[in-house]
Amino acid sequence: MNVLETLITEFARLPGVGRKTAQRLVYHLLQQPRERMETLAAAIAGVAERVHPCAECGQPTEDAVCDICRDPRRDAGLVCVVEEPSAVAVVERSGAFRGRYVVLGGRLSPLDGIGPDALRIDLLGRRLAGGDVREVILATNSSLEGEATATYLQQVLAGHPGVRVSRLARGLPVGGELEYVDGVTLTHALTAREELR
Amino acid sequence: MAGTPLLTPAIVLGSLRYAESSRIVRLATREYGVQSAIAKGALRPRSRFGAALQLLSEGHAHLLPSRSSDLHTLVAFDLVATHSGLARNLERFGAASALAEVATRFVPPVANLALYDQLRHDVELIELAPPDAIRVVALRAMWRLIIELGLGPTVSRCVRDAVSLPAGAVALSLREGGFLCAACAGLGATTRLGPQDRADLVALLGSHLELPLLTDRQAAAHRRLLVRWIWEHLGDTSMPALESWSAARS
Ligand SMILES: [Zn+2]
Ligand SMILES: [Zn+2]
Repeated sequence: MNVLETLITEFARLPGVGRKTAQRLVYHLLQQPRERMETLAAAIAGVAERVHPCAECGQPTEDAVCDICRDPRRDAGLVCVVEEPSAVAVVERSGAFRGRYVVLGGRLSPLDGIGPDALRIDLLGRRLAGGDVREVILATNSSLEGEATATYLQQVLAGHPGVRVSRLARGLPVGGELEYVDGVTLTHALTAREELR
Repeated sequence: MAGTPLLTPAIVLGSLRYAESSRIVRLATREYGVQSAIAKGALRPRSRFGAALQLLSEGHAHLLPSRSSDLHTLVAFDLVATHSGLARNLERFGAASALAEVATRFVPPVANLALYDQLRHDVELIELAPPDAIRVVALRAMWRLIIELGLGPTVSRCVRDAVSLPAGAVALSLREGGFLCAACAGLGATTRLGPQDRADLVALLGSHLELPLLTDRQAAAHRRLLVRWIWEHLGDTSMPALESWSAARS
């Protein structure tokens, strides 16, 4: 395979990019000034070289420990467990959480060959061993696999009776209209309803 | 045919993200066997698919057949039931995943109403079985799927010469597809089943028979036997869910 084909193949491997889009991207790059491509190549090389999982939470960082884990104003007693680093960004954007994270790096999925050993359960274990943790929020996805992962984590946490374990509530989208909500979501919303008085 | 969606009961056997916001789902359908379909926009927060396309969800699929490929378009999926109970117990989750994997790999894209109804029922049984019965319910579900595919073992007589078999221990030939009488068992590789193992296997295979009680060790041995059977008669492609179910401790 020549270099052009190799690049198209590599682009086509990215999520959300098909072969046709990959071709379009590569031909677009070819029309750009040469420096643009060099900048892109250098950026990718830099990430490959310098970015690695945070030793404490598992999210990508250039340092040994990421900004969030190092921030002394963050509550070390509150740990939010998510599947992917992208979920950290989403929770951070909400501004509603001031604790720390554990990024599992996936979810239990036998069909994809992903068992507990493939997840960073060890990071959660290390946080718990520190002794400061009061509550663990299980923020895995509400897919069947995400729920099974939460079940597994509950088993892990059973050995720490002093730690509160909670699960993100599932329910109505804010600003959404009731008539467009599907039955499963509505069932969850009913189960997790809040008492007003 | 294209232009009009086909409506069929279906179970989601698996899905993968596709492009920005879509999913490709593998469906066991009642009228068309196992099919792949693209659910466009399924990942968008207000997608009409909502939470319906979960692993092993059950519903009515509206499939727009593709004229040019095996990838149809899933226009809508009217949810009938999700099986969230499978996620609250990892043994149920592992067994149901293995069942979905075997169905995905080996059920052909043709109607098999009995197989579909059986599969649907078995997913429910795995979800609802008492905890100590999950292992046997799962083993029977797997064997039933294999039997519906026409590849179950012959255990009522010698598979080679149809001679009736005396009670007691028996030889099982994976390659020939069933029990062998003493005369036939002399040649070729067989697995020896003691009287209890034989009775347990026969009980697992017979839907009308009472489920056997199996210890951890016996259940593990039956799972290994079943996996070897699948490799021999269905195919030995990589099946991570089947392998992790078979290697489970309980
Ligand atoms: Zn960190
Ligand atoms: Zn014989």
